[in-house]
Amino acid sequence: MMSTDPDIPLDLHDIQGNIIKAYNREDYVTARYVLYQVTDGAKGREFLAELLPYVTTAAPWSRESAVRAGNPKPPVTLNIAFTHQGLEALELPAASLLTFPQEFVSGMVKRREILGDDGKSAPEHWDPVWLKPVHLLLWLNGPGRPNEHVLDEYHGMLVELAKKFAPGVECLSGHRGEDGAERDYQSGSALYDEDGNITAKEHFGYSDGISNPFFKGTGANPNNVIGGGKVTRESPDTVEGWEPLETGEFLLGYKDEAFEYPEAPLPPLLARNGTYLVFRKLHENVGSFESYLDETSKHFEGGKEALAAKFVGRWRNGAPLATHPTEEEANGLAARWNQAYVSMKKAEADHDDGAYATASNVYADVRKELVAFDYDQDLAGGRCPVGAHVRRVNPRGGLEFGRSGAFASRGALTNRRRILRRGLPYGICRDRSRDDGEHGNIVMMLVASIRRQFEFVQQQWMNYGNDFKLGNDKDPLLGNHSDDPDGIDGRMTIESTPGSGKPPFLCAGIPRFVETRGGAYFFVPSMTALRMISKALVDPT
Amino acid sequence: MPNEAGDAYGLTALCPIKIGDDQKCSFASLTRAYLQQMQETRADEDSPMASVPNTYLCRFFVLDNVNYQGKPAVLDSLKSPYLVFVAELHGDRDTYLEGMWKRAEPMIREVWKHCVGFGSVVTAEHFVNYIVRCQVETTLYFNGSTDDPLREQLKALYLQQEFSKFAFASTRKSAEDLQRDFRSFVARTRPHDVARPTWRAGASDLANVVVSGDESENS
Repeated sequence: MMSTDPDIPLDLHDIQGNIIKAYNREDYVTARYVLYQVTDGAKGREFLAELLPYVTTAAPWSRESAVRAGNPKPPVTLNIAFTHQGLEALELPAASLLTFPQEFVSGMVKRREILGDDGKSAPEHWDPVWLKPVHLLLWLNGPGRPNEHVLDEYHGMLVELAKKFAPGVECLSGHRGEDGAERDYQSGSALYDEDGNITAKEHFGYSDGISNPFFKGTGANPNNVIGGGKVTRESPDTVEGWEPLETGEFLLGYKDEAFEYPEAPLPPLLARNGTYLVFRKLHENVGSFESYLDETSKHFEGGKEALAAKFVGRWRNGAPLATHPTEEEANGLAARWNQAYVSMKKAEADHDDGAYATASNVYADVRKELVAFDYDQDLAGGRCPVGAHVRRVNPRGGLEFGRSGAFASRGALTNRRRILRRGLPYGICRDRSRDDGEHGNIVMMLVASIRRQFEFVQQQWMNYGNDFKLGNDKDPLLGNHSDDPDGIDGRMTIESTPGSGKPPFLCAGIPRFVETRGGAYFFVPSMTALRMISKALVDPT
Repeated sequence: MPNEAGDAYGLTALCPIKIGDDQKCSFASLTRAYLQQMQETRADEDSPMASVPNTYLCRFFVLDNVNYQGKPAVLDSLKSPYLVFVAELHGDRDTYLEGMWKRAEPMIREVWKHCVGFGSVVTAEHFVNYIVRCQVETTLYFNGSTDDPLREQLKALYLQQEFSKFAFASTRKSAEDLQRDFRSFVARTRPHDVARPTWRAGASDLANVVVSGDESENS
């Protein structure tokens, strides 16, 4: 049944930009993540007040060629988030502090068992900065080559500004850099191909960040609901096959998928238009990944690329296995996608509005093919394995297991587990035969409930398999597989095509490809709440 | 239909606990303390209830009183605290309760000793009659079990786990090796022998999960 709610547009000027905008899609392909400790609440609030005019909001940017000046893109974006200890350091009233959800109060380190941050992912192996009293996260996103210096300049200004408030506000050092040195910031950058073109790849070679939730009120192109909304019982390649998710899954103060307001701190103005940010620095063991693929794919029909695709549910070029089961089909889609992107960017650079509009439509059509699918035609996993990464983290309608009507809606078990994904890769992998070095992903996940969305997906869907009828099997790529050679960890079953008479392909001894190197839980307040915090105006009584 | 789902039986009994005390502690608190120390001092597989045949799941707790649901609900109260015994089991109730008396009589005597009228329970038949008098209807079932006999379910779980280990360890073997190894797998796991080797009833620790050799057939 289609929603009959009125379409209420969000006040995008009041919402921090990165919640609505995926900056890397807007050409902000470099980033710096800076952490602060506040030991003097008054100075911390003054620092915040100084930063406020520079905070990037979610308001739409006018393109350069637009007649109206409107809201031009800033050279560098800035956003701010707080840990619970940070809010306490800024002297938020105790009556407010007590109203935050327990997992946010506890923080990521104390939730390690739930998250599976054990072995080499345990906090004692994290970058030292994350074990310090992290209060404030500032993140800057800027342009890529050849203008990376712009980000450097803005960061320099931030450093100068922060100095005015020391002692009392200290930038925390201890982000591990490439040379092993401890730095004052974590950097991030999109990866480039051999020709110097920006890619959407991460270090394992997969195109990342293709699909993100689509929710009410953002003003985004309604056609983008395809693949991003929640599944209906109509065809997944039509607009009717999807509905926007409720805003309250991603922003506090709005109706959520349970027809209520999400759990939120008091007073309501502190919470409204804010959300939670899960920050994870994830190292990628490229050497282990490549050698496991090389060795195991010797026995796999279709070879290395096909095996890599089975792990994730998408080919490394991004094409979904569910609709593009052969490498040839996948390559065709990827080529068209790339061509459409290049044409759109050229039209934009040429300030050719007509050509841009045409190219944008072509791009949107191709993009649709990347996201417009579900698993109803592939229940047995013959195309996309049931345990593949993308099928785990977003099962679409798959948890009905084909029993139409099993639940009140097809996505009943999925719609409250969706996650907005931001972030960028970090570092450069200089030797693909080795695991060491400084390279991985800065994963930023935005959710109205850390516990219900991020922690649930991490615990039940990445590090366990029961919901998929896969026993103890974990996500092949991101699971916290143990190093115990006799254990039952590190398994994946790659189902064969039903009726083919072929046995499934069994992957055993999968090592831990991804290790946690840091992270924390943050609250991302609205612009209103930032101002209230900076002026000590938060009053829960 | 209440209480029965195929060959699975859902048993819920509310046994009134005497109002009173031993001059230090109420009978309800004494009952709760006994239940809690059982949990504290034993591994799950050492629970007396793990030795009771065909127990899929069981639970004891003390119900002090019913919850007040808030206005406009009327405040209600039980006449006494209750010992609640919940079991989901295979087969028929009376056989199960007789088996429980046979395997766990000392525990039963301790758990129920403060319950009204339990003093006259001295035989299995008395115990069955006592529980039946206290029984209330069960309509919701533990969803993690089939309705097969427990021994068969435990053997099936054991075989499933062992077979998956075998399968993952055997992916690249030649046909000859695979056949040889499968024969030794069958010889070791004895798929047709429901008694052993198998999963230990009540086991929750993977390190101590398999019953092999001549251990007692306790399930």
